Amino acid sequence: MADNSVSEEATMDGHSPKLASIPAGDSTVWADASPLLQAACTGLRDGELIHGDNFNLFAAMSALEIMDPKMDSGIVCTYYSIDEAVENGAAPIPISLDSTIDVQRTIDIMDHLLACEAAWHKGHSLAQTVFSCIYLLRLDRTAPHALLHSYCRIMRATCKAVVSVVSDARTHEEEDLFTMTYGLPLNGDGDDKCLSMLNAVEETISRQLRACKAASSKRRLPEDLEPLQSNPNLEAGFCKALLCRLRFRKHFFHVLACMKRPQGRGLESASKHIASCMTELESILKSADFIRSCFGESCEGDIDDKTTASGHEPIGFDAMLNSRLSAPTPPRAIKILSWKKAVEYFVKLLHDLDVICSYPLDPHLESLLRFVVQFQKSQPDLVARSHLQLLLVQDGKLYGRDPFFAVITKAAALPEATKNHDIQKNESILQLGMLVMNLLKVLCTNAAWQRRKLGKFLQDWRVIYVQLELAFRNEFGEVSSSSNDENICMKIFQHILLWVEEQTYWIAFRFLILGFELELYSTSEYCMVYWYLYAVLTKLAEKTHLKMAVSYDTAKRKGKKKKDSPKDLARESRIPPAVLFLQCYICLAEGLTMMLASLRNEISVFQSPGPFNTEQEKFAQHFELLQRACIPDHVSYPSYKESTTHARFSTLAMYNYFKDAQRIAKEVKSSFSNDPDRLAELRKLEQVAEHNSVAQNLICRLGALDPSLRVSFELSHHPFFATVVVKRS
Amino acid sequence: MEAMAEEKTEFEESEIKYVSYGGEHHLPLIMNLVDQELSEPYSIFTYRYFVYLWPQLSFLAFHKGKCVGTVVCKMGEHRNTFRGYIAMLVVIKPYRGRGIATELVTRSIRMMMESGCEEVTLEAEVTNKGALALYGRLGFIRAKRLFHYYLNGVDAFRLKLLFPPPPPPRQEL
Repeated sequence: MADNSVSEEATMDGHSPKLASIPAGDSTVWADASPLLQAACTGLRDGELIHGDNFNLFAAMSALEIMDPKMDSGIVCTYYSIDEAVENGAAPIPISLDSTIDVQRTIDIMDHLLACEAAWHKGHSLAQTVFSCIYLLRLDRTAPHALLHSYCRIMRATCKAVVSVVSDARTHEEEDLFTMTYGLPLNGDGDDKCLSMLNAVEETISRQLRACKAASSKRRLPEDLEPLQSNPNLEAGFCKALLCRLRFRKHFFHVLACMKRPQGRGLESASKHIASCMTELESILKSADFIRSCFGESCEGDIDDKTTASGHEPIGFDAMLNSRLSAPTPPRAIKILSWKKAVEYFVKLLHDLDVICSYPLDPHLESLLRFVVQFQKSQPDLVARSHLQLLLVQDGKLYGRDPFFAVITKAAALPEATKNHDIQKNESILQLGMLVMNLLKVLCTNAAWQRRKLGKFLQDWRVIYVQLELAFRNEFGEVSSSSNDENICMKIFQHILLWVEEQTYWIAFRFLILGFELELYSTSEYCMVYWYLYAVLTKLAEKTHLKMAVSYDTAKRKGKKKKDSPKDLARESRIPPAVLFLQCYICLAEGLTMMLASLRNEISVFQSPGPFNTEQEKFAQHFELLQRACIPDHVSYPSYKESTTHARFSTLAMYNYFKDAQRIAKEVKSSFSNDPDRLAELRKLEQVAEHNSVAQNLICRLGALDPSLRVSFELSHHPFFATVVVKRS
Repeated sequence: MEAMAEEKTEFEESEIKYVSYGGEHHLPLIMNLVDQELSEPYSIFTYRYFVYLWPQLSFLAFHKGKCVGTVVCKMGEHRNTFRGYIAMLVVIKPYRGRGIATELVTRSIRMMMESGCEEVTLEAEVTNKGALALYGRLGFIRAKRLFHYYLNGVDAFRLKLLFPPPPPPRQEL
């Protein structure tokens, strides 16, 4: 088709002739494709499909049917453009000519925006949540309304700050939707002034509040000041309701800015702003009573489901306005959180951020890993996890401060001086540093993604171990008389190798237990899972013990060469508490394996023979990544079968692993008296052990005799060690 | 995507007739069922993609001439394994809980096995207890959890069924 004919046709359709601006190039001309399409249509019979090689499932799934409301996100909308919405009075400024109503409506907008923001953080798109606000989409229009304008402006700046934290953290699949800002007016001029604008408005309202208090106590007004709105009875209440909302935004913005400062330098100030945010959120919640009372009429439906404190629908929002901005996907169902839930979300978020701020930036990797794992237990959302990740890894260093080689030498219990050794330039050592960095990042992601990545990491850690071992042999294999420097190199390698092994088993352990959290195991698979957990934990305990022994040895030799005192000897032979802790896990895993195995063998429960495959295939699938990386060595389906096929109630009665677990948990508690997290964990372990020990006795006595006995396994006391429940049916 | 639950209607199991996908006249029946019962919207291209390329893997269940259930699948090379994939499985509410879905999906899986598939996969909503139990009985494991997989924001499980290797190689001998 020639240029002008395109423009003609386009004009005839009533659209602006924009196509005319696409000129034919040197090697391209416009041509009329209608006859070709016509011929293709007549050549096809009903239901036939032209299937190109590149038309795969993804292409088929990405195709949208126009005019089908389930697919076409553009069809369900009230307005076709923001301008049309504005022209139709969907977002008036002022919101009302009655100043009291104007303030009421402004509060509704603020509340609904908070609910939208929470919905965005919880996984919906920015376009369909916060930016469903027409005022935000045309922010300049709000300039005459200082209150609304300042709130919208800080809202936009806050969104921008949050987007930047999350995209910097690269939390993978989660970030796709979260950081999608295409077509949104997120970058406006003057947002750097948002705080001063907000401060000015806050100052005015606090003066209005003071003036109103002065008036009520019949004191002279300190200055001539217009009240916020026209109803003197409501003045103080409205001023207060607005002030806490504005101040919350201010402090929240400060929190984000402080937390982003390099090397955790802003954490202390962030913590103070978090406390202020919490106070303001409390006031916001309290203001609901006033807001509802001044509206007079009660709103329909449950107030707890509403997105505003007043319970009223806010003015100036249209969630479908941006739907055509979203990628070519069917419309996503959006459920904006209720106002109450939104406030709860922010309380949780701020609490999670506060946990990060209170962390003392411990340079010991072991305690850091424990901290991250503990942090994840409270199931923090994306924003908090992104902040943690950015704090941990900055500029390729831990907290942007400690090089990873130094972190590794510390973790591998090497003397302080080794952290500057030239060996850190070794290729494999450099790679190891990368692995540690990636491990920290992945531990901050959601559990589903984390488990998948950890599974893949196992192979990498195995490979690096082999590489390091090879480098070690190449360098020191043949040397008999070694110089002092070689001695140091040798020691570095030895320590690091041992530590890499320990770390690999720790990753394997995390991989396995995340399966419980994600509900990937069914009870019929518990037997093999606990058996594998037992195998991994045994190796982990062994390596941890060895590492501690070697470091103790080093420390002792480094110290004065006194004769071994009896006290020293006693300390040496004692098993370290960290290893005993693992020992407790081991006993529980072994106890559960054996109990499940004997139940399967004696009364044929917890088996699930399917028509297509056997337990061997399930074993292969669940532990494929561990098996491929030989973690641990010599562990296989046949060895699992061998250690479980002979389990019987009679063998179970001979040894109670749960009693051991209970004893160890009790004993080791005193060693962790200043570590509340591990103390809490030990208490849980003790509980499970005690329960299961009793259950085991019962099963051994009655199991085979009493057919009415029903045994079930519940994760009621501990996230991955099941409690055995015995009932009579 | 799967849909299953517990409501029941009166019928004899022998009254249910199972047929393999037989052509264009079956397509509207499948589309109606899936559109009604599953949360994800599919375009006509998606349906045709499956039923035209792998008609032998799709089945329909009829009761007295009325289509009450269907299964739609594919198979192909995926990262060096030949893999079957169950795309949609639906049984309408009054007919659920009577083994129709199990029969439909078993027929597809058997075809996949005979065609040389090494494994079968699918996704199901983590909240769909009925589907998860059904596939669990057939030997599927929950291999992965997929965060916010569906348009409605719900997580999915990737379920996998690994077939035993063809005889004779058995290693432990």
